[in-house]
Amino acid sequence: MPSDLSSLVHWILFLPLGAAVLSALFLRRAGGLAAWLSTGTAFVIAGLSLLLLGKGVDVSWHVELAKFGDVSLGFGYLIDANARLMLFVVSFVAAWIHLFSVGYMKEDSARGRFFAGLSIFMFSILGIVVADNLLMTFIYWELVGFSSYMLIAHYFDKDYAAAASKKAFIVNRVGDLGFILGIAMCLSLYGTLDFVALKDHAAAAKTIPVAVGALLMCGFLGKSAQFPLHVWLTDAMAGPTPVSALIHAATMVAAGVYFMARVSFLLAPDVLNLIAISGAGMAALAGLCALAQTDIKKSLAYSTLAHLGIMGCAIGLGHPELALMHMAMHAFFKATLFLGAGSVIHGCHHEQDMLKMGGLLKKMPLTAATFIAATLSNCAVPFLAGWYSKDAIIEAAYHGHHFVIFAFLSLAALATCLYSGRMIRLVFLGEANSEEASHAHESPWTMTLPLVVLGLVYSVAGGFLASTLMPAGSLQPIKPALDAIVFHLTAPSTIVGLFSLVVGFFGALKFYGTVRGADALQVVSPRTYHLLEHRWMDGLYRWYVDAVQRRLAEFVAFLDLLIINGVAVRWIGGGVPAVLGYLTGRSFHRGQTRAYALWIVVGTLFLAWFLIAR
Amino acid sequence: MPDGLFIFFAALTLGAALLLVLSRNAVTSAMGMILALVGVAAEFFLLDAYFLGVLQVLVYAGAVMVLFLFIIMLLDTEDAQGAYPWKTAALGLATFFLLAAGVLWLFHWSGAVSAVKAGATPPELSANPAEFVTAAKAFGRLLYTKYLLPLEIAGFLLLVALVGVVSLSKDNPENKA
Amino acid sequence: MENTSLAHHLLLAGLLFVLGLTGVLIRRNLLVVYMCLELMLAAATLALVAFSRFNRTMDGAVLVFFVITVAAAEVAVGLALIVALFRKRGTVQSDALTTLRD
Repeated sequence: MPSDLSSLVHWILFLPLGAAVLSALFLRRAGGLAAWLSTGTAFVIAGLSLLLLGKGVDVSWHVELAKFGDVSLGFGYLIDANARLMLFVVSFVAAWIHLFSVGYMKEDSARGRFFAGLSIFMFSILGIVVADNLLMTFIYWELVGFSSYMLIAHYFDKDYAAAASKKAFIVNRVGDLGFILGIAMCLSLYGTLDFVALKDHAAAAKTIPVAVGALLMCGFLGKSAQFPLHVWLTDAMAGPTPVSALIHAATMVAAGVYFMARVSFLLAPDVLNLIAISGAGMAALAGLCALAQTDIKKSLAYSTLAHLGIMGCAIGLGHPELALMHMAMHAFFKATLFLGAGSVIHGCHHEQDMLKMGGLLKKMPLTAATFIAATLSNCAVPFLAGWYSKDAIIEAAYHGHHFVIFAFLSLAALATCLYSGRMIRLVFLGEANSEEASHAHESPWTMTLPLVVLGLVYSVAGGFLASTLMPAGSLQPIKPALDAIVFHLTAPSTIVGLFSLVVGFFGALKFYGTVRGADALQVVSPRTYHLLEHRWMDGLYRWYVDAVQRRLAEFVAFLDLLIINGVAVRWIGGGVPAVLGYLTGRSFHRGQTRAYALWIVVGTLFLAWFLIAR
Repeated sequence: MPDGLFIFFAALTLGAALLLVLSRNAVTSAMGMILALVGVAAEFFLLDAYFLGVLQVLVYAGAVMVLFLFIIMLLDTEDAQGAYPWKTAALGLATFFLLAAGVLWLFHWSGAVSAVKAGATPPELSANPAEFVTAAKAFGRLLYTKYLLPLEIAGFLLLVALVGVVSLSKDNPENKA
Repeated sequence: MENTSLAHHLLLAGLLFVLGLTGVLIRRNLLVVYMCLELMLAAATLALVAFSRFNRTMDGAVLVFFVITVAAAEVAVGLALIVALFRKRGTVQSDALTTLRD
């Protein structure tokens, strides 16, 4: 029953939009009501998505909105196995994060706006997942950017939050410029924007122009915070923690990965190689940078960058299904990590500096247990969720004989274990290093329940659940990937994983225990620490904007002043009427509308005479 | 010689339009306008465009002109007292006859309207719906297929006009001189 | 409708148009000027319907439909503008509104 299922998708897509509109219009002051409305909607959507996942049926539905010549623009759904998985992951993670937000944002005065923002974000991201053509994808893409902007700027009276939201928006615009050019190129080359039709064209063509893939990739670079457009993600942590968990760790940044998987048939081999190399490089680098952050959320943001690099690398290696699987697993454990961080921040009275925490294991046992479990999953401990996908990707790199990528990914795995160990050591072990941390308290049930569900159930057992318990056939995209993994002690990925786990994780636990109240690396080697902490790309962009773009803009402004304003407007535009007015005694210009109308008539008659006599 | 009904309504329309242009009282002008629009609607009927004729009467002669009358009465504009502005009227009539002569020449004697298209009688209507059909149904079909985008834009335009009017007619204290 | 050619209709439309134009040129009351503008539009629609009928296509008639729609929107906004102008300046005589000169 295709019609039946498309109506299901209608509900999934438009329920959050309805909730957002309702909250934005009527519930601005009734924050509590808006919170529960939004949360309830999120859970309903999660249920519907699970239903859709269980049915395992493809849905395609389309209406034409406009037709220009041969080009038809429409609105529709294209739901395949990837989309079902993504729908489930997004809605499920989002539902629990909504519930978490109810507790986390309890004392916020602008809850109505916040939850309306969450709902509009849900609408846009689900739109990207179900959209069946590039144009609708782009529209939802921009909506996602907008809602992200709005949510980062939730504390808009703080300068850093306002600046961070602006930065996220502008950096994404840079990527989106490439994206829309790519769409235009698809349209001119193939005359259609539908994914299905595009796939046919791509299959029929022998080679795909590199430019198409490269331009579409620009959108992915921006939204998924890939190098060199990754700079916005760490600043985006200025938003409330649930926002960081939902948008900037679990779902929105994964949208780029999903989109690349969806248009993977349009990507030329050169583009794939580029994505793979830059992704692997970024994974290693971002993992190391996470070591030089004291803010718990920023450290996690770098960790997200590293995982996004790994996902990009998987796409580049030609395994979009592995990328999607890692996206799914990462969504679960990274959401848990961020929610755990949120719980810690909440418990420590909004202290975010890890150096000032410590000893929280006893004070916040539930949070600590879930956080540590998710961390282990993050470190790819065998049989935990992260292990299934991450090791598969490393293995794929090795078997594809991409040894540079393999080396980078191994370094990334080591770095992951290092910063994870550091985080655990600084936050949960040892003694409390500040007044706030010593008075920490466990969070209410609305915050711990999502942690337990997302953390213990999914981030730990996710891979196991996916391979065994999930409805048969519902996880086709990741099934082959899961089947491919066998726990070989001799497999290179396992060796790398276990080595980095032992050396990295336990080494970090030990190393960061040596100095109290400060970062051990900073004490031991300040130069290395600074190298990792310094934001080189920001400096580069600053230099570019200041030195190059600004000069260019000033030059253009000067030309404008000289030619447009000076010659055209002042001399020609001002001079001619002045001379004419002088000659005719201002009879043209008496301020009477009737006189102007007469001149219009005369001009029209003259034009008509010219056209007829011609 | 054209049809009697055509001549009657043409004379009615032109006479009403003359009333609109020459009357000194704005309300009389509006009455002339209504009559002229009804005359145009009658010409629509004679051209078998019944739907448009009805639309013309409803929207134009009905809604729009009522709006005009409301505004005229609301503003209660004083017309300039004193002698009838014969000079302006004469100037206007001169302009009118000059332009009218041009129109007459263009459509009657210049041959710009080709003989085929200007056949003495309109071509017979055929049963083919793709051709000129009078029913509102044919209109609807065209509006929702070939002219769907213009229709949606027109709807959007009406919305914009609505919002514009609301914001324009809001009594803004800054506007008071 | 025998003996009524396209030229007759165009002639009527042209004369109406010219009448409206004359009104725009000689009248001072903005409201009347505005009505004259509407008359010009009506004249144009008459020509369109005539063409449409004599060519046996619907397109001209559909265009008339849009003209009526747009005119309705335009009248609403235009009248609101005139009312706003009257509120600010206390007059709708076009000769009194000559600030554009300076």
